[in-house]
Amino acid sequence: MAVRRKLIKERVPTPERPAEERVKDFAEVNLGYTFELAVKEAERCLQCPYDYAPCIKGCPVHINIPGFISKLVEYRDDPDKAVKEALNVIWACNSLPATTGRVCPQEDQCEMNCVMGKVGDKINIGKLERFVADYAREKGIDEELLFEIIPKIEKKGQSVAIIGAGPAGLTAAGELAKLGYDVTIYEALHEAGGVLMYGIPEFRLPKSIVESEIEKLKKLGVKILTDHVVGRTVTIEELLEEYDAVFIGSGAGTPRLVNAPGVNLNGIYTANEFLTRVNLMKAYKFPEYDTPVYVGKKVIVIGAGNTAMDAARSARRFGADVTITYRRGPEDVSARIEEVHHAKEEGIKFEYFINPVEFIGDENGKVKAVKFEKMKALEEKDSRGKRKIVGTGEYVTLEADTVIIAIGKHPNRLIVNTPGLKVERGKIVVDENLMTSIPGVFAGGDAIRGEATVILAMGDGRKAAKAIHEYLTKKREGQNA
Amino acid sequence: MPYKILDKKELAMNEVWYKIHAPHVAKKVQPGQFVIVRAFPNGERIPLTPVTWDRDEGWITLITFVRGKTTMRMANELKPGDELLNVAGPLGNPAPMKKFGKILAIGMITGIVEVFPIAKAWQEAGNEVTTLHVSPNPMVILKEEFENAVSRHIVEGFDLQPGWGMNEIAQELVKRAVAKVKELLENEHFDMILTVGPAGGQKAVFNVVKEFGIPMHADLHPIMVDATGMCGACRVTVGGEVKFACIDGPGFDAYKVDWDELIHRSGFYAPMERLALETYLKQLQAQGGEQ
Repeated sequence: MAVRRKLIKERVPTPERPAEERVKDFAEVNLGYTFELAVKEAERCLQCPYDYAPCIKGCPVHINIPGFISKLVEYRDDPDKAVKEALNVIWACNSLPATTGRVCPQEDQCEMNCVMGKVGDKINIGKLERFVADYAREKGIDEELLFEIIPKIEKKGQSVAIIGAGPAGLTAAGELAKLGYDVTIYEALHEAGGVLMYGIPEFRLPKSIVESEIEKLKKLGVKILTDHVVGRTVTIEELLEEYDAVFIGSGAGTPRLVNAPGVNLNGIYTANEFLTRVNLMKAYKFPEYDTPVYVGKKVIVIGAGNTAMDAARSARRFGADVTITYRRGPEDVSARIEEVHHAKEEGIKFEYFINPVEFIGDENGKVKAVKFEKMKALEEKDSRGKRKIVGTGEYVTLEADTVIIAIGKHPNRLIVNTPGLKVERGKIVVDENLMTSIPGVFAGGDAIRGEATVILAMGDGRKAAKAIHEYLTKKREGQNA
Repeated sequence: MPYKILDKKELAMNEVWYKIHAPHVAKKVQPGQFVIVRAFPNGERIPLTPVTWDRDEGWITLITFVRGKTTMRMANELKPGDELLNVAGPLGNPAPMKKFGKILAIGMITGIVEVFPIAKAWQEAGNEVTTLHVSPNPMVILKEEFENAVSRHIVEGFDLQPGWGMNEIAQELVKRAVAKVKELLENEHFDMILTVGPAGGQKAVFNVVKEFGIPMHADLHPIMVDATGMCGACRVTVGGEVKFACIDGPGFDAYKVDWDELIHRSGFYAPMERLALETYLKQLQAQGGEQ
């Protein structure tokens, strides 16, 4: 069907709530496309052929992006059908599109490669993916599709234990369940979702959406055991006795702390603690919800990744004056452009080239200020391709009654202490099939990467599921022979 | 995940005992470990210590002291047959189990519950264990169980005076604990001391023990949220290093703990906890008014 397309250079914008309104609550910032707007944006897609499409190559889970976008245009007269067809294409590679549509760094992945970018705005792939997932959920189309898939699943009679119900574990679980394996997820917290529940704020990823994606996995037959801390409640050795394979998707749960005096003063949070209190425990609804959080008038966030943006924007919603401090310059900020942009719109200040050296407390052991050393960048690049920075010997002190440290995380120590599990610098070592040093035990996501993105973890989950499938197929055939 | 309340009793004023179906915990728990309980949909995650357990029948027992909103709500609203939303664990490291010799295990107020499984196991491991419970009189619990489990159980109780607040109770607690521990250490030899209780009380007892140079194991309970090493709320400085009580502890060498920091950190949410309790009490009054 060769249709000559008219190039529409400008992206169809998605409506967003104004900054002054949204800083007063935790409701979602971006409102997403309507069907009409989604079709208009979808029509801009050049429909690069599948084998060529650079967007697919940029996607860690290789979603057939032109494929799902074309369905929206093809069935434009029947929105339900259009969405169902599009969702079917997405689901072949990604079981959590409402999540990835919201939190993927599309600008560095699919959208970075979009050919439209050469003549105009790149296609808004993330928001289109989100639209498909949201519309399908609201209309019950996802359930319909699910119940068409379920009867076709052929049971394999083998079982897999998955450690951690975060993006890596959920993805692996979904893929393995679709392949016919009995899957059980062991989750330490009281809710499944991992970083999607405790880490990413409601205004960026509503918890009800994560819950609904998890419900779908349960319908596929995935069992989730919450309150089970692998390493304490059950060990990997014990799981291997009970299951045919194990996947570790335990994430990077251990926060890194600033190595400076006063780091344990009251009012100093790790981003993990702050975000867990706010997101998972809903401290923004205290005392209706029982878990408190202390947000002072002046908040300093240390670090400039996505977690730092999430913490800063959450603190802003408590009415605080928030400053993000970063030891490098603006060009090295690792947070998504959209998040930095949202943070700035919401009145969050940025201070660059300062590195904390001391936390200063009052007579009650509560933080009142942070002393920073001013830094400068050299021309020389470090191993990560960022300009090297050095201290200048000059200092600046900023007042703060709450400090949030968001400088990264290490993999969870309870898991990496497993005997026989090869670990380097806190990260689980895996081969090209994501198998660890223990046969039958696979790992992916932040547990092997240190700290990365939701979609990379999902990519690992998918890759591991494939490898586990191959491993178990051999095992099965070996047994039958 | 249904964690059915198999039984519930009020042991004494403000002391509530629960028997909970939690086979995954019962199967693995060791003395010194704890669980995280969440009782209500809008509730918090609170650490509690399994006091006894049956690995075959799959239950554990927990004792709460009604202090804040959560423990009060649990006492008021939960009945046998109901379910706790979450019981996660076991968490933390088991207490060291070996032959120390003569042990004095001190539990201040709520701490005595955590002392029980450790003291009992130490006695069974061939130690001679003296347990000391320092607490206001109405809170005397597990007396008989201790007497059956260890060589000697001492209760150092005191009467609450009208008009006393938390500060006065804490001061009296420290005074009583220090005096009694001093008396015991002056008259007898001990090879190991264990303390569990409020950080201020633990520090005061440590200062006495230090003078005698006896090894001391302190089970700490700083504020916790996830208790799986993820959030860092429970960080304590031990031997100059930052440790997470949930995965590195909860037991540490008392000589290495930065007690003042622990005391500061433990008290941080007190005003907010009071607010939560007052709000809840007002709700109860309003409900009472409607009836």
